[in-house]
Amino acid sequence: MAGNAAVLEDGSRLSRIDRALAGIETKLALVSGLAVFGLMLLAVVSVTGRNILNVPVPGYVDWIEVTMPLIAFMGISYTQRSGSHIRMDILIGKLKGRMMWAAELFSVLIMLVLVLFLIWGSWAHFARSFDFAAPLWSRDSTIDIRLPIWPAKLLVPFAFSVLALRLVLQVWAYGRAVVTGAENPIAVPLPLSAAEQAAEEASHVSALDTKGAA
Amino acid sequence: MEPIDIGIIVSGVMLLFVVLGMRVAFAAALAGFVGLTWIFWAKFGYNPDKFMKALTISVKTAGQVPHAKVSSQALSLIPTFILIGYLAYYAGLTKALFEAAKRWAGWMPGGMAVATVFATAGFSAVSGASVATSAVFARIAIPEMQAMGYNKRFAAGVVAAAGTLASLIPPSAILVIYAIIVEQDVGKLLLAGFIPGAFSAIVYVSLIVGMAMIWPSYGPKITGYTWREKFASLPPAFPIFFVVGIIIFFIYNPFGDPWGTPTEGGALGAFVVFLMAVIQGMRWGQLKDALLETAKLSAMIFTIVWGVLIYVRFLGFAQLPSAFADWISGLEQSPMLTLIFILLAYAVLGMFMDAIGMLLLTLPVVYPAVMALNGGEGVLAADSAFGMSGPMCAIWFGILVVKMAEFCLITPPIGLNCFVVAGVRDDLTVQDVFRGVMPFFFADAATIGLLIAFPQIVLYLPSLA
Amino acid sequence: TEWNVSVWGKPRAFTSHVEVLNEMLQEKTGGAFKLNISYGGLSSNKENLDGISIGAFEMAQFCAGYHEDKNPTLTVLELPFIGVNTLEEEVAVSQALYAHPAVAKDLGRWNARLLMPSPMPQYNIVGTGEVRDTVAKMDGMRVRATGGLGEAFKAVGAVPTSVTATETYNAMESGVVDTVSFAQHAHLAFRTIDQADWWTANLNPGTVNCPIVVNTDAYDALSDEERAALDSSIEPALAHYLEVYGEVLKKWDAVLAEREVTKVMFTEEELDKFRAVAAGPARAAWIEKMSAQGIPAQELVDLVDSTLADNR
Ligand code: NA
Ligand code: NA
Repeated sequence: MAGNAAVLEDGSRLSRIDRALAGIETKLALVSGLAVFGLMLLAVVSVTGRNILNVPVPGYVDWIEVTMPLIAFMGISYTQRSGSHIRMDILIGKLKGRMMWAAELFSVLIMLVLVLFLIWGSWAHFARSFDFAAPLWSRDSTIDIRLPIWPAKLLVPFAFSVLALRLVLQVWAYGRAVVTGAENPIAVPLPLSAAEQAAEEASHVSALDTKGAA
Repeated sequence: MEPIDIGIIVSGVMLLFVVLGMRVAFAAALAGFVGLTWIFWAKFGYNPDKFMKALTISVKTAGQVPHAKVSSQALSLIPTFILIGYLAYYAGLTKALFEAAKRWAGWMPGGMAVATVFATAGFSAVSGASVATSAVFARIAIPEMQAMGYNKRFAAGVVAAAGTLASLIPPSAILVIYAIIVEQDVGKLLLAGFIPGAFSAIVYVSLIVGMAMIWPSYGPKITGYTWREKFASLPPAFPIFFVVGIIIFFIYNPFGDPWGTPTEGGALGAFVVFLMAVIQGMRWGQLKDALLETAKLSAMIFTIVWGVLIYVRFLGFAQLPSAFADWISGLEQSPMLTLIFILLAYAVLGMFMDAIGMLLLTLPVVYPAVMALNGGEGVLAADSAFGMSGPMCAIWFGILVVKMAEFCLITPPIGLNCFVVAGVRDDLTVQDVFRGVMPFFFADAATIGLLIAFPQIVLYLPSLA
Repeated sequence: TEWNVSVWGKPRAFTSHVEVLNEMLQEKTGGAFKLNISYGGLSSNKENLDGISIGAFEMAQFCAGYHEDKNPTLTVLELPFIGVNTLEEEVAVSQALYAHPAVAKDLGRWNARLLMPSPMPQYNIVGTGEVRDTVAKMDGMRVRATGGLGEAFKAVGAVPTSVTATETYNAMESGVVDTVSFAQHAHLAFRTIDQADWWTANLNPGTVNCPIVVNTDAYDALSDEERAALDSSIEPALAHYLEVYGEVLKKWDAVLAEREVTKVMFTEEELDKFRAVAAGPARAAWIEKMSAQGIPAQELVDLVDSTLADNR
């Protein structure tokens, strides 16, 4: 399910690690958002440069292609923390307590195994494009202005590694929830209660209203 | 075991994992990865000594898909279209539109719901993502409708359904995805969505008015706005037309040559909305919010894109697409009947899949079959089965398929728009929203029927360009 | 033996040699050796060398210019104004180059063995507006040309503009570019010809080189009979390719006439001016860059020149 979900926090070690990782994830997601913003600016520069100065951005398309992985991957773990990757929760939503946490544990365990394989595969993809002996260490380049592609390819195993850390943490947290049978375990995405939702929304809308008045 | 059998078994297991609640993107990627390993190992005769080799080939084949598939310029339109939507929210455009629609359309039966549809249609002209549009209007419109005494399920259904307009009315992320998969002109496709999008909005409004006339408790009207108040609501909403103008002129300029490519138009539109948001008082805190929301939705969409494409890569090795194309083109029945069956299959598939995943998964197989049904890519209108040339058929089918994909955003059990509305408003469960949105199934069915019967609705604008 | 083959797009002249190769192999081996040709299902076109290296499929097509750093040696054939005028000459220089040990070593890093070329005609430009038939008139011209070709146009004052192939039609229509450089079939496929007022018939600025490669292990694992069938089918497959491409060129002429597109002929004098600015410096820069990587660059350039001389 998309949308917002709460991740409960407390003073435990698990929660401290969760928050530390969340800090990194948020920064990476912000990088992704800034990359979108950057592409927007690049287009503005490209259009004005072409029409006013007859100087288009050289390799405009190449720059977009090497920027896309920033946008596509940097937010992947941030999205996993808040439980925002799409899924069908009709069945799992009917489960209660330990059964639910066990089902979630099973799901994140399998995801973790898959992601570890994908780290291997995407690393190999990067490694084929990288060569210490080559100029710019490059064994793969873009079509037009021949930008080295290895930095963009390296982003994939990097982002997947952060995701793997998040999944390890969720395996731990769900595992703990299975053991303790907690109703609202920490460090995993939980649906917000109506009151929390309303509070969150009020902060959004009031920010908007203040701004509108200004 | 034949590759095709492996394909069918693995696909079944994937559906099982999806139903069990695994994140869709990862379930698809897992199925693709397992399937690839199986196929390569089968090629080695299931020799135990060669299992590691098969696994290595599979890991490396799957591992190159994420980077290779997202590094495309056309896909860059998607995050841009998402960003523009969030910025428009912070620029106050959403509220302004909603206010104007309320004052001008509120007098109708079901007035607030009608206003919601019109405001959403207007917002769709700057927003490229249905899900984002539903999320934004769930925040603004549902509380107001509830305060007016509207049935809360109905209110949620209106927002979930109206959100789908964002994907027909340009800009549209999903039309871009269609254009990429079938390698057609993005600009013409975006243009083609305009009239069917407006048409869908009118069908929704008719449905709401009809329902409110039969069951007045569903949606009381709102009256009492003076003409002065009505006109006062217009200027704040006006900038939206400016932005729409920019995007349109980059795609299609009725007075001459377009001003640039669709990619540039989308980005420039976003930039103008950004400037407006800054003028409206947006500061770093809110921009950061918008960027993070954009990042989250982009990560969600792109994860589905590469996850499903790992699975599609496996299908390629299993040779399923060509088997299907052969089967379709071998059918002995009228092409129109086949087309209708294909669209019905999308409706069924769409119940279980999300829109983008469904298009990525099916179009490589279905699109060539549909083009062949019409008489081929280069067929002239006179010789074709559907009475339109090859390129026009590509556009028409694109709009039909996107409308079907939008339909599946509101159908249970996986209906993303409904999930988002329920996610934003936690006093609503997903089941509530699905119930509320049900009447709109009939509206969408009627719209699709009319688009099939009168292709001119779709093809009028692109035939001018 | 069954080989998976990764190509892209639709079946067309550009893939006709692979299709006919498959027919000949099955005929010669009584169906024992066949190719499963996949149009984009197994890989993206820019990752075909990766797929060969991994061993995901046994045969693939790619173009050197898509990723110069993956195959530096092959890009000698993409240098501007190398002097190739016909597809037959393109075949001859390609095959001579593919046989060179330095090139074999370059592709060997991908576990790939060069099988045959997919000869492409020269990337002449279509343009809108006033005919540009001299080097001077190319000043300020916005041209869609990538890589080395883009640099060649830049050398005469044109402005290379970055547009994806699928957006070229829009880009021409909206004046993002004035001219687009493609081979004929691509001008037809991307409909740039529908926007064009003129086409340069004899500029012949350069082209891309798109070989068919096979996975070395898979090639070595073939039986003697299968390998003989494969090797002996290459010449007839290429002959078939040239025949099919000849039809495309005929169609091209018909389309030019139908749309009243002006065929622009550059005088020899103007061509020399262009070559002087674009060809020599690009060649020198290439030799310097490649030599620094330990590639016998001068030798490769000389090989191309001597092969061309022998085939005239
Ligand atoms: Na839209
Ligand atoms: Na659905």
